[in-house]
Amino acid sequence: MRFHALAAVTVALVASMGDAQAHASLDRADPRVGSTVASAPRALSLWFSQKVEPAFSTVEVRDAAGARVDQGKPHGGGNVLQVGLRSLPVGTYNVHWRVLSVDTHITEGSFSFQVGQ
Amino acid sequence: MPRLSVRHAALAAVIVMVSVGEASAHCFVGGRFLPATLIVDDPCVADELSLPTVAAFKNGDFPSARELDISGEYSKRITDNFGISVAETWTHLAPPGGPNASGFQNLETTFKYQFLTDATHELVLSAAVSVEWGNTGARGVGAESFSTITPTFFFGMGMGDLPDAARWLRPIALTGQIGYAVPSSASKMIFGVDPDTGETTVDVEHHPRFLVYGGSLQYSMPYLKSSVVDLGLPEFINHLIPLVEAQFQTAIANDFDVVTHTTGTVNPGVIWVGNYFQVGVEALIPINRASGSAVGVIGQLHFYLDDIFPRSIGRPLFASNSNPGRPMFGN
Repeated sequence: MRFHALAAVTVALVASMGDAQAHASLDRADPRVGSTVASAPRALSLWFSQKVEPAFSTVEVRDAAGARVDQGKPHGGGNVLQVGLRSLPVGTYNVHWRVLSVDTHITEGSFSFQVGQ
Repeated sequence: MPRLSVRHAALAAVIVMVSVGEASAHCFVGGRFLPATLIVDDPCVADELSLPTVAAFKNGDFPSARELDISGEYSKRITDNFGISVAETWTHLAPPGGPNASGFQNLETTFKYQFLTDATHELVLSAAVSVEWGNTGARGVGAESFSTITPTFFFGMGMGDLPDAARWLRPIALTGQIGYAVPSSASKMIFGVDPDTGETTVDVEHHPRFLVYGGSLQYSMPYLKSSVVDLGLPEFINHLIPLVEAQFQTAIANDFDVVTHTTGTVNPGVIWVGNYFQVGVEALIPINRASGSAVGVIGQLHFYLDDIFPRSIGRPLFASNSNPGRPMFGN
């Protein structure tokens, strides 16, 4: 009897997931995480595992010296955030993102990419 | 000044009310996610449910019995950094030649406080007191008549700080725990009758104090993809965290009856991490005969209640606006 109750709880939990929203983790990026691109990208795009709120999210891109090279507030919709980039010379760039998913969970992460090296 | 839509304004109001600081949940620290490990408890407080955890192995009895354990654990945040968990295990024992025995182990509760979350260095520290409540389980499967209290220290640490030259090692994380298990009674008298003389006999069974310790070594494929390099691997691979866990206990006091002082298992395995749940499976390799007579297996289905029910049972009972233990966000 107890095992039937446990099985019922498990099934109920699985069934509950249809309407749930989870933490937003980075699914992929363009330029790709850890990649080297031949020419300087005009923008950075981030795809997340959940819908995010651009108004309450930040994406910062900095050069090796720590100077901001992004063009400010990210924009986008659904699972995607995009931020414009200044003209990037050859070098390594560090990205730090911090996003609010639609269920108010906050997540963050960092990665880097290189231009023309 | 940015113009906010009605939807954004409503969302902002919700955020103020629920306080973003505590709206996160299972074990995130900075860009690092530490999964719930199967043997060693993770260092975070969380709203989560392990149901079921199933372990099958040959135990350390002489002769060794086949043992099946089916357990569940429910963890609930009371505040952002303080949580309690309740665990119960059902055991089936099949010794060679029988008879078999089945029943519940003693009820276990844990009170944990996560006192440091350093997102920059991917470091989590917590302290807990676990209580195994005596006389709440079946004697036939080894449940003790006395309670055991175990103060325990936990840590979790990611290697995201490593330099570029060692970037392939950044997905590595370590977690660990060390506790001191103190029985509520030091010994008990066991009365019997000598079959030859018919006289009453008295034996003393000592209840030793144990150092309980262990840890996990993890390599996070999700971290590799999102923070180091996206290799374009199949999505299933990108959700895996291969790991090795180990847990030991060493009798260090009141150990007059103990033959083998240290027992434990080493457990290589893998955890698949999804958005709402994770699935883990590990081998149970005993370190000596007193720990078991053959390699066993353990598997677990684990739910992230904070993600499944983010606005109800997945939130702390008492959320506060300040969150000094979580400088970056609420996990």
